[in-house]
Amino acid sequence: MAQVAYAGASRVYPGAHSVRAVDGLDLCIGDGEFLVLVGPSGSGKSTALRMAAGLEDVDEGSISIGDRDVTHLPPKDRDIAMVFQSYALYPHMSVRENMAFSLKLRGMAKSEVNAKVEEAAELLDLTKYLDRKPKALSGGQRQRVAMGRAIVREPSVFLMDEPLSNLDAKLRVETRANIAALQRRLGTTTIYVTHDQVEAMTMGDRVAVLRDGVLQQCASPRELYDTPRNVFVAGFIGSPAMNQLTLPVDGDGVKLGELKVQLPVRVEPGEVTVGIRPESLSLVGEAEDGFDLRVELVEELGADAYVHGTLAGRADKVVVRADGRTPPRLGEAVRVALRDTGEVHVFDPESGLRIGAE
Amino acid sequence: MITLVEAPQSSEPPATRTRTRERSAAWKRRAPLLPALLFTIAVTQVPFLVTVFYSFQSWNMVRPGSQHFVGFDNYVDVFTDSVFLQALGNTVTLTVVCVFVAMLLGLGLALLLDRKFLGRGIVRTLLITPFLILPAAGALLWKTTMFDPSYGLLNWAFGIEVEWLSDYPLAAVMAQIVWQWTPFMMLLILAGLQAQSREVLEAAQVDGAGRWRTFVSITLPQLSRYLQLAVLLGAIYIVNSFDAIYLMTQGGPGTASTNLPYYIYQRAFEGFDVGQSSAMGVVVVAMTLIVATFALRLMFRAFDVSRGVK
Repeated sequence: MAQVAYAGASRVYPGAHSVRAVDGLDLCIGDGEFLVLVGPSGSGKSTALRMAAGLEDVDEGSISIGDRDVTHLPPKDRDIAMVFQSYALYPHMSVRENMAFSLKLRGMAKSEVNAKVEEAAELLDLTKYLDRKPKALSGGQRQRVAMGRAIVREPSVFLMDEPLSNLDAKLRVETRANIAALQRRLGTTTIYVTHDQVEAMTMGDRVAVLRDGVLQQCASPRELYDTPRNVFVAGFIGSPAMNQLTLPVDGDGVKLGELKVQLPVRVEPGEVTVGIRPESLSLVGEAEDGFDLRVELVEELGADAYVHGTLAGRADKVVVRADGRTPPRLGEAVRVALRDTGEVHVFDPESGLRIGAE
Repeated sequence: MITLVEAPQSSEPPATRTRTRERSAAWKRRAPLLPALLFTIAVTQVPFLVTVFYSFQSWNMVRPGSQHFVGFDNYVDVFTDSVFLQALGNTVTLTVVCVFVAMLLGLGLALLLDRKFLGRGIVRTLLITPFLILPAAGALLWKTTMFDPSYGLLNWAFGIEVEWLSDYPLAAVMAQIVWQWTPFMMLLILAGLQAQSREVLEAAQVDGAGRWRTFVSITLPQLSRYLQLAVLLGAIYIVNSFDAIYLMTQGGPGTASTNLPYYIYQRAFEGFDVGQSSAMGVVVVAMTLIVATFALRLMFRAFDVSRGVK
């Protein structure tokens, strides 16, 4: 059990155009916390994780685990366990040998190794498969073996690099819940990398959003969703993405078509980027306050339908959540109202930062 | 009448019909291969059968008309011929030592090449070169440039005067063969090393294995099929070594570096003893078959174990 702290940690790939894959990362993961690193591909999330594992050099800054500075220690001296995206099981070893490998390397007595492996296998429902080779297992079983290999070691930190991305959708949902439950039960500090924001929102105590190697925001899932610090986080968290429109300021609000939207914060005259989540908008009758939208695409998901359209007289695209049973037709003009002006996010159009935050 | 004729036709079991159709389809597929098959039989099996026939004859080409049937006499002679037994010993020594040493060197070089460094492509090409040189040219190169007692590089480099080819004939031949076959082993093993998953190696690292432990516990087991293939192919070629011995030592001094192919060649084309050399040839083929069958069986069993490994 330990906390993990990145202090200005950077990974710079040398070359004619040196690339700062991770740029001055400051992040502290508390003891027993489940932190999710999330970002689009190329955002440096895996690199950041591999730096903690010792598989990637730390070129600037430092990383500590517990009270120890591990910046330049080899992986084996860091007391970490890692779950890889490809699972990276040892193909020539049985499940039992896979899980026992690290314990044997530590010189643990054979009976103790067996007891630990069997305990972990029990926990992960792998007892039946202990003597099989990885190739004779299904994807989900292999994933569990990879988890088992990590937990038998009782490390102070788990590092997981997109461990669910090779599973099918149904199994992924199931395994997601299992991993989260397992982590709560073991209480081991965990860093979990994913590009899937649903995983990020459902699993993490806190979520750190990375973009181009730079930390954008690290907060609880609720806070990320309710008060994104900038337009990138606002657009990345939430599905479908938040509507973002850059509009001229008109007094103390903006005009969205015919709808005058009162902004929840004071803004300078000029332009402003407003962000409105699809569920903050709704379809209403012709007579009510709102703006007109021409429907271009309707995504029916059963319970809900997402209506994609363009604002009358503008090129901006807007997505609205509507009742799944009575979706509008393509090409129709519908009236859209805003649920609550308090749900409008306001950003500076230049810097992309949230206005009136904190 | 008509119905009688038609009835059996329509009631013909469909299985028979499909079987005939399958058979003709199979022949259609085989037909294009037949010329190659006939050619192979003509150049390998027919000479072998003729050799078997000769091995039961006493026939020395120097004495025309001496050809007559002698039963197993030639075989008895072969097994009581001390030179034959020595040549057999030499062949085994040569093959085992060369395959083993070339594989160890190849493994070492492959490990060194399996990492990034400046000029890796050039180094790799240079290391492969011995394999690209004609075996005869390679043998001459070693005989003259390396081993020559008066102007050879070896003596010059160590400041000694050793008659390599007459003092250590078998070792000298082995040096040339190892030099020739190391690149082959290296390429095969390098392919195996590069087929390894990087994440698996990283997993071992995180699990607490050092470099040596990772090599022994993870890399070597995953390489085993490549090593087996290297041994099999290397052994097949090295058992048949002829050019190096012919050009470097002529099997000498005496018969110190004679191997089976060279001894058979001597008996047939210098001693003109067709009967005995044919008997030796048959014995060698039989022994090779036995060894290869066991070796192959072992190997395929090993392949089965590691088949499907990703």
